[in-house]
Amino acid sequence: MILPRHFGPFGGRYVPEMLIPALDQLEAAFVQAHSDPAFHAEFQRLLTCYCGRPTPLYPAENLTRHLGGCQVFLKLESLNHTGAHKITNALGQALLARRMGKTRLIAETGAGQHGLATATVAARCGMQCTVFMGEVDVARQYPNVFAMRLLGADVVPVADGTRTLKDAVNAALKDWIQHLDSTHYVLGSALGPHPYPTVVREFQSVIGREVAAQLETQTGRRPGHLVACVGGGSNSMGLFAPFLGDPSVRLYGAEAGGRGPNPGDHAARLQGQPKAGIVQGYKSYFLQDDHGQVQGTHSISAGLDYAGIGPELAWLFDQGRVAFTPIPDAEALAAYQLLARLEGIIPALESSHAVALAMRLAPSLPPEDIMVVNISGRGDKDLFITARALDAERWISFLQSEVERDQ
Amino acid sequence: MTNKLDAVLAAAHGHIQLMTHVVAGYPDLDTGLRLVRAMAACGVRIIEIQIPFTDPLADGPTIMAANQAALDAGMTPEDALAWAGAVAAALPEVAVLVMTYANVPYAMGMEEFLRRCAARNIQGVIIPDLPVDEPEGDYAAMARRLGLHPVMVISPDTPEKRLELLLPQASGLLYTTLKVGITGASSDLCPEALAYLQSLGRRTHLPIAAGFGISQPRHVAALAGRAQVAVVGSHVLSLLNHGGIPAVEAFLRACMA
Repeated sequence: MILPRHFGPFGGRYVPEMLIPALDQLEAAFVQAHSDPAFHAEFQRLLTCYCGRPTPLYPAENLTRHLGGCQVFLKLESLNHTGAHKITNALGQALLARRMGKTRLIAETGAGQHGLATATVAARCGMQCTVFMGEVDVARQYPNVFAMRLLGADVVPVADGTRTLKDAVNAALKDWIQHLDSTHYVLGSALGPHPYPTVVREFQSVIGREVAAQLETQTGRRPGHLVACVGGGSNSMGLFAPFLGDPSVRLYGAEAGGRGPNPGDHAARLQGQPKAGIVQGYKSYFLQDDHGQVQGTHSISAGLDYAGIGPELAWLFDQGRVAFTPIPDAEALAAYQLLARLEGIIPALESSHAVALAMRLAPSLPPEDIMVVNISGRGDKDLFITARALDAERWISFLQSEVERDQ
Repeated sequence: MTNKLDAVLAAAHGHIQLMTHVVAGYPDLDTGLRLVRAMAACGVRIIEIQIPFTDPLADGPTIMAANQAALDAGMTPEDALAWAGAVAAALPEVAVLVMTYANVPYAMGMEEFLRRCAARNIQGVIIPDLPVDEPEGDYAAMARRLGLHPVMVISPDTPEKRLELLLPQASGLLYTTLKVGITGASSDLCPEALAYLQSLGRRTHLPIAAGFGISQPRHVAALAGRAQVAVVGSHVLSLLNHGGIPAVEAFLRACMA
């Protein structure tokens, strides 16, 4: 197996020489593991008995009826152990780390789901774990921070730069540079220096393979439309990858439209005139100013407010293979509420962007078309954001009473 | 025309040189100019000027914070290059190198970036996150044509095969990091690092600049005879932050003693 180092003009490994040997080692370990039936057997066994795979493909009849267009299915990655698709990649990389003789895992996290997944597999595999998280995200994702610490991970709040995911990535890379012998960096999305985009895509592509098999069983058909939210790109690449060669399957990505189109108010990297750059070890499209400085971002979802996008998605965008749409915060929140009311499913705020995009697309599609929406995670981690946004008075009153109870 | 960096190194006559690191626009342009003048007065003949970037991958917290502060104050790559040119003009005895991350020259256009450096009388460029085997990593020949040294950064872990790839591209200096186990004021350079420098010296005719963790005059003394240049980066910045320019001067004079 030869791993692609570039996707069109994107990808690569733009890192200091000090990191090159570690990337070479990871690539060799992945290629070796990929052809090792024992690795696959162990990975599959744990995906089934520990992570809860395969996750359900749910025919969302109420939502379908409500939208009045094509048939909508939901891929419930939210039912994975730890509540999101992230556990799949974290487990795969932890097994790779063990093959490489590493004893410590580090990770960066935005919404906390990848950090939680890494802390979980570290506990399961008896490894040390440090998770880097921007101070802003630590403050808004407390339930995940608490859980990571409970699992034995050291959560390091990052106070540099914009104090969000981008800065957590920098901190993780620097820690890795300093501890290459003992430590594997479990990169959480399909980005970063080669071979990470491919490693993450390959582990996550189980999502798309399950969708194909489940839909075949349930309907005897292939999907016509696949919808996923896109931060860095792990859940979307995982869903899309097995269908890339089939032009009859249309692919849609929901980016964070945030508060609006002004710089700093969103994380929609592929709108307008996207700008290629070289940041954090890879070449892709980044939100940046005319001088090449990376811009701040905003999204109601801590998992989508990343200034870059995975290099393969950038290439798929250039080829017109994936259509990207920015979804504003308010629309994502409305979709979050709608799915809860109609289907009894509370999606993560990231996934709510995908639901919102599906709500835009489905009504104009014929009833015989099939759309699959990836519910990449569940929404309980977002309680501190959504309760404040939707039910501020009662939420603040609850928090106050909790504080007063112990005084 | 002789590159001033070559002249500085040739004039050293075997004495180890110091290369200091400053961030353009930090703490501000005037203080920065006073700082580099003080450095030159202490005998520093090579100064590495960093064009600030939002995501300086290879820098520790001290330099990272300086980058952010300079950016917050409005520093742009154009302003930083203009300032580097002013330093070069004010200190004719000093070789000025410009260091930055790949996205800055990529956004400006590599050729334009190198042309501006050359026009500002800069002697070389250091871009640590732009490996020679990436498409944009073939800037070395272009830099040389413009009279600039493309300074390559390696580490003790750089495999033999990559050295073979890198060495033909490098000129002026070969900049290597030193693995020192732990960094910090009391740590000493480990014997492995010193042995590594000696073996590297046998691999290349280029002068070797060694950095990463140099924070004591005795570190510089230990490098003498094994490297031609000792790089002091974040420690000098840290001294500036806590004791101002006099603290930097005291340290540099001790290193040059």
